[in-house]
Amino acid sequence: MVTIEKLKEFGANTEEGLARCYGSEALYIKLVNMIPKEGSFDALEQAVANQDLDKAFEAAHALKGVLGNLSLTPMYEKCSELTELLRAKKSVDYTPLVEELLNMRKKLCIICEE
Amino acid sequence: MENFLDASRHKRRVLVVDDEMINRELLGAILENDYEVTKAENGQQAWELLNSEGTAFSLILLDLLMPVMDGFELMKLCFADETLKSIPVIVMTSEKSAEVKSIRMGAADFIAKPYDMPDVILARCQRIIEFNEDKTIIRYTEKDTLTGLYTKQYFDEYLRRLKADIDSEMDAVEIRIDRFHLIKELFGREEAHCLLRETAALIRRDLTASRGIACRTEDNSLLVYCEHRNDYEPLITGFQEELAQSSEIRGVNLRAGIHKYEDDSISLENRFERAKAACDRVCGQYETCTAFYSSELHRRSMYHQKLIGDMQDAIDNHDFMVYYQPKYQIQGDKPVLTSAEALIRWKHKELGMLSPGVFIPLFEENGLIRLIDQFVWREAAAQVQRWKEQYNISLPVSVNVSRIDIFDPELVQKLSALLTKYQLEPHELMLEITESAYADNADALIAAVEALRDRGFRIEMDDFGSGYSSLNMLTSIPIDVLKMDMKFVRNMFRDEKSMGLVRLVLDIAAFLEVPVVAEGVEEQRQLDKLKQMGCEIVQGYYFSPPLPADKMEALLRQNAV
Repeated sequence: MVTIEKLKEFGANTEEGLARCYGSEALYIKLVNMIPKEGSFDALEQAVANQDLDKAFEAAHALKGVLGNLSLTPMYEKCSELTELLRAKKSVDYTPLVEELLNMRKKLCIICEE
Repeated sequence: MENFLDASRHKRRVLVVDDEMINRELLGAILENDYEVTKAENGQQAWELLNSEGTAFSLILLDLLMPVMDGFELMKLCFADETLKSIPVIVMTSEKSAEVKSIRMGAADFIAKPYDMPDVILARCQRIIEFNEDKTIIRYTEKDTLTGLYTKQYFDEYLRRLKADIDSEMDAVEIRIDRFHLIKELFGREEAHCLLRETAALIRRDLTASRGIACRTEDNSLLVYCEHRNDYEPLITGFQEELAQSSEIRGVNLRAGIHKYEDDSISLENRFERAKAACDRVCGQYETCTAFYSSELHRRSMYHQKLIGDMQDAIDNHDFMVYYQPKYQIQGDKPVLTSAEALIRWKHKELGMLSPGVFIPLFEENGLIRLIDQFVWREAAAQVQRWKEQYNISLPVSVNVSRIDIFDPELVQKLSALLTKYQLEPHELMLEITESAYADNADALIAAVEALRDRGFRIEMDDFGSGYSSLNMLTSIPIDVLKMDMKFVRNMFRDEKSMGLVRLVLDIAAFLEVPVVAEGVEEQRQLDKLKQMGCEIVQGYYFSPPLPADKMEALLRQNAV
């Protein structure tokens, strides 16, 4: 079960996230629990593997919005970095960056399943 | 007015369009206390919703980057649509450049991602909705200059914006000054308008104590949308008493029709239509001044509407039939068949045989009776001609000439044309005119009767004694026959007075030197008494009910033998 404490440990700005949910812990936790099923992570991974930078940008952009709204700060920051690089179509190796983001997601999934 | 808006507890609808479920859920949670939220996953889904429910939405919250159809594409479609372009769009984006582009395209505002705090989002939504509603409503002239109430247009737009049709605690009411046109004619336009203004002021005063809004619609009708009351009688009679105090005009009758909320399938427009129907029913009545719309009333008015709609087809398909009720001369040794009265019957294709008592008053009310009358004239004239040709018998038939026919400038011409067409003498098509036409417009009636008699027609005064008979009328209208209303015959043995009335009618006829036809004779003793009193002609079930043409023909043949 995710708790506010665990999310804090994870690095989330839970005060901001909760405020956005009208202070409802239940809603905040419910929305965070939807992250493991969030399809844009897979879309991002796939697009990067296919070197499709437009698709990758769309996915990263969408994720950035969601992660920002939930104030999952470490993931949001990583995703923002990715989004900006993809927007500029910088020729860098995206794989390690995506890998980092996916690892954070994995970590969050574990917290959710605990 | 503002208070009323604030007091409205009805949630406006907001459409949230975002491909990310988490965003949709979050926004939904933020908005759902104040708004009814509908969600769409992309522009295409939103477009479909907008096309089916359109203006039900007060606001669209739109994400820009979405699969299938993005936010820019949806905005393009919406802003090109005459109806949908009135719905404001707030764009949700994290891109500064997209903000500018969206506003240029016509978006009303934007919300940044990650979202601001909920209160900020709510405030932005509320501001945009209010701004947009004010903008729309301001296009209409707000106040009716005569009464100071709102104009109908403003009233409609206002209630539409309120989504008032789903408010179960509000009544739709029409308040009308009964016979306003007569008041205008008698007291002048200025006085009549003054009365309307005073009535409006009373309504306004009543509304200050409760939620509601009112407007003027037609000349004499005021529409009120107000909190439900179980009984409007005290309110309306109270208004009447106050008007009696303040106005020079005596005997003002206010009438109100009310539609109480049933369910939200009935649009507000229809609710006011139903209030009007209830008001129509109570106008001209004296025992009560208010009526709630009821399903019975609805059923009846739908039934009436059906009959009106079916009439022309029924004439064309010969669903209307003319029946003939024989009249007998009773003063000789044996009763002699002398003539017949043509009576209309309607064999409705779905409803079966309809009583004339159902459709005649209805058609009299809306003037369609003219078509029925003309149909009967034609049929009866053709029938008289057939009997003449086939049996060499001339049986005069009397037909009804309704009040409204009297005002037809071509009346004489139309009837004369029938005589020519069917080669009849004027006395073979007798005309029955009801005495109540005299009360409507005496001069027109006298002129019409004189013109018809000049052409040779015989005029029977129908239903004599049933309405407001005037002795003056009898001396000013030249008639040939007096038809005694059937109520006299029905009651003649009740007491001395009733018998006296029959004698009186017979005396009047004797004075005018015209014969009397007694209608509704059903019993031997009625017949005997009438004969003894000198009544010449009798019509009624004692001799025969109204007969279809073939049965009447059989009677005629039998009579000839």
